[in-house]
Amino acid sequence: MTENNIVLKMENITKHFPGVLALDNVSIDLKKGEVLGILGENGAGKSTLIKILAGNYIKDDGEIFIDGQKFEIKNPGEAMASGIRVIYQELNTLNNLTVAENIFIGEQLVKTRLKIVDWKSMVRKSKMILDSLNVSLNPKAVMEDLSVSEKQVVEIAKALSKEAKILVMDEPTAALSEDDTRSLFRIISTLKEKGVSIIYISHRLKEIFEITDRVTVLRDGKKVKTLVTSETNTNELVSLMVGRDIKEMYPKREVPVTDVVMEVKDLNASGIKNISFALKKGEILGIFGLLGSGRTALVKALFGANPVKSGEIFIKGEKVIMKSPRKARDNKIGLVPLDRKMEGLALALGVKENITLANINELGKSFLINKKTETLKAEKWVEDLSIKTPGVNTEVNSLSGGNQQKVVLARWLESGSEIIILNEPTRGIDVGAKIEIYKLMQDLCEKGAAIIMISSELPEILSIADRIIVMSKGRFTDEYTKKEATEEKLLSAACL
Amino acid sequence: MAETSFQELKKERKKVGISNTLMLFIVLVIMIAFFGITSQIKFDQQFFFSILNLIPMLSNISYIGIIACILTMLLITGEIDFSIGGNIGLTSCLAALLLSKGINGGLVVLICLAAGILMGVFNGFIVTRLGVNSIIATIGTMSIWRGIGYTLSNGESMLAFNPVIDYLGRGTIFRYIPFPIVLFIIVIIITYIIMNRSKIGRRIYAIGVNPMASYLSGTNVKGIKFLLFIFCGAAASLGGLILTSLSAVGMPQHGQGLELTVVSAVILGGTALSGGKGQILGTLAGVLILSVLYNGLTMLNIMYFYIQIIRGIVLILVVATYEIRQSRALRRV
Repeated sequence: MTENNIVLKMENITKHFPGVLALDNVSIDLKKGEVLGILGENGAGKSTLIKILAGNYIKDDGEIFIDGQKFEIKNPGEAMASGIRVIYQELNTLNNLTVAENIFIGEQLVKTRLKIVDWKSMVRKSKMILDSLNVSLNPKAVMEDLSVSEKQVVEIAKALSKEAKILVMDEPTAALSEDDTRSLFRIISTLKEKGVSIIYISHRLKEIFEITDRVTVLRDGKKVKTLVTSETNTNELVSLMVGRDIKEMYPKREVPVTDVVMEVKDLNASGIKNISFALKKGEILGIFGLLGSGRTALVKALFGANPVKSGEIFIKGEKVIMKSPRKARDNKIGLVPLDRKMEGLALALGVKENITLANINELGKSFLINKKTETLKAEKWVEDLSIKTPGVNTEVNSLSGGNQQKVVLARWLESGSEIIILNEPTRGIDVGAKIEIYKLMQDLCEKGAAIIMISSELPEILSIADRIIVMSKGRFTDEYTKKEATEEKLLSAACL
Repeated sequence: MAETSFQELKKERKKVGISNTLMLFIVLVIMIAFFGITSQIKFDQQFFFSILNLIPMLSNISYIGIIACILTMLLITGEIDFSIGGNIGLTSCLAALLLSKGINGGLVVLICLAAGILMGVFNGFIVTRLGVNSIIATIGTMSIWRGIGYTLSNGESMLAFNPVIDYLGRGTIFRYIPFPIVLFIIVIIITYIIMNRSKIGRRIYAIGVNPMASYLSGTNVKGIKFLLFIFCGAAASLGGLILTSLSAVGMPQHGQGLELTVVSAVILGGTALSGGKGQILGTLAGVLILSVLYNGLTMLNIMYFYIQIIRGIVLILVVATYEIRQSRALRRV
């Protein structure tokens, strides 16, 4: 066969989730010693594809071949055994153990006779692996003392502690500075030379061009195309990824910005230092920062869920002590949190119950809920925001990500929020729903709301926000107007 | 992402069939019919449905049921109260002690209920303010309450006769209806309205389904849990008073192991230990099934050891049925 240098072949992979077709007949192939980029917006199906390869999800349909052999991956152990290693975006390190212990977790080296742990050779071998990656890290160091990028290196070392044939990296640079990204790329080159095949997932185009040999573009669960990286360009990739041109993707209207509605002075809380800013009516204020920059800590402090140590928050000129989310809600602040499923929605309840969750008191005059009032309110929002659902009593769990996000948004509209904080509002939702969310945000601004949008997606924040503040290590490091801001400026300020 | 058609989703929903609660009531009716028929055969007359059997059975059901209904609400928030048995022991001794000092019966009832509320406040404080897991906190207080009961009574049983206390457990309305049953029915109605119609009931469910989302939507999660611990304390004390009345003695051993009976009934009724799921009517069915089973098997002269075994099997069978039905329903969607 001519395909004998193909290490991995995934053919016609299909995967359903309740209410959603996450992967629709996706095929990829991976050659020995190559870096294959997988490119796609959030929700395009990248992670699902990888989780199937890693044995975390079972595919509904399709076939997987490793070295030409058909292979059914039923659990993570089987994937590991066949040389597949995955490094996830959320690091899985055990922070109170040492580097060496993390590298050999699950398969500790033992002295042959006594079957007790052989610490010495674990440390020695860890050192060897780390050296082969050209990094100097003490194997005896405790994980919690390491930086995010060092932890990532440990994850890579862990992946390589047993022979790895295929290494998958899921958005490895999400938390890395420019320098750290450089050293990661050096490691990737080293691995390539050793014949390891790498699947590199990212939505940062610059990196795709720098490191990959070929790139497969996914969109809405379908494979769009596989291209040789050196034969394509940014514009082609973006239009393949988004399925429409940029202007259509990020619709932006000019909304007049008026009075200050929220002012924050010298705010200090766990994870944030000396935060000051003012937010005006009609404005979308973007806050950009890498993973671990203190974005979420800031959001929670503004919303009363992260106790403020010092500093002041003024709402429409009046000082407010944000001691609980209830206080924030009463001051007409709404929050669309980062993790929709853990923090945003009561998944087992209906669309209706989720829409009225922040405003139960208004559901009737007495202590009882007037079910008719509630249904009418919910139906109004389902129509206004065009939430796709069989009815207001449907469990919100069965809705798609974009519609779930709209339900969370509807909750705050229902409770009359005038300041809406959205933490990564378009994470994990499909392109169509994203555009709708952008439009909704601007509708709200036109009606006099003010919006704070936290985002780590550069094209999104650059196009939608009127003003962008960059965060790093809990502080504001820079601020740009929409006109001034560029990708390079934001990224370099985020690494300060 | 492609959406599965809504028509399909709707169709799938319907296939799930009858609710768990309805299933329980069907089981209950079958059980009652079975014991009615077997008692007829065995004794050549209707014993199971006789006043002689029904009144004590229903009185016993009522104090367990009152506590179970309140506990259902707490369990739905994802918390639990194991101190109810200890609370009953303490309340029973306190009541007998106060009566022996010649204190007015009505006042004794009020003092005991206040003690129950105080015990609830302690539990609520330990769980919501100190952050101790409610299983551990209430196993701790269970032991404390019972210990106080032993201290109050010097470890002995005390007679507890008083017109008010007597009426609480053994009084009747319209000549035949035992007063505790009336109390139980009132508690069922109130808790049913709370859980199915009221604003706080909605909050209780939402807390159980997702405490974080509820908190971030402005719900006072800790406050509501605190309140439910207080309700539980008061309900257990009321149960303790009824039990004292039924037995006419106050003793520290009262209510020993009752927490497990009550929790079993609630779980049997379809409430999830993890919170977010449960029905007052389910709990009612759970209480009735366990009590009818106990009563009927005793009537048939089955030895107590076997009854224990059968009760355990029934609990596991029913809960396993829930799990199987749930995973089937999930697979369909």
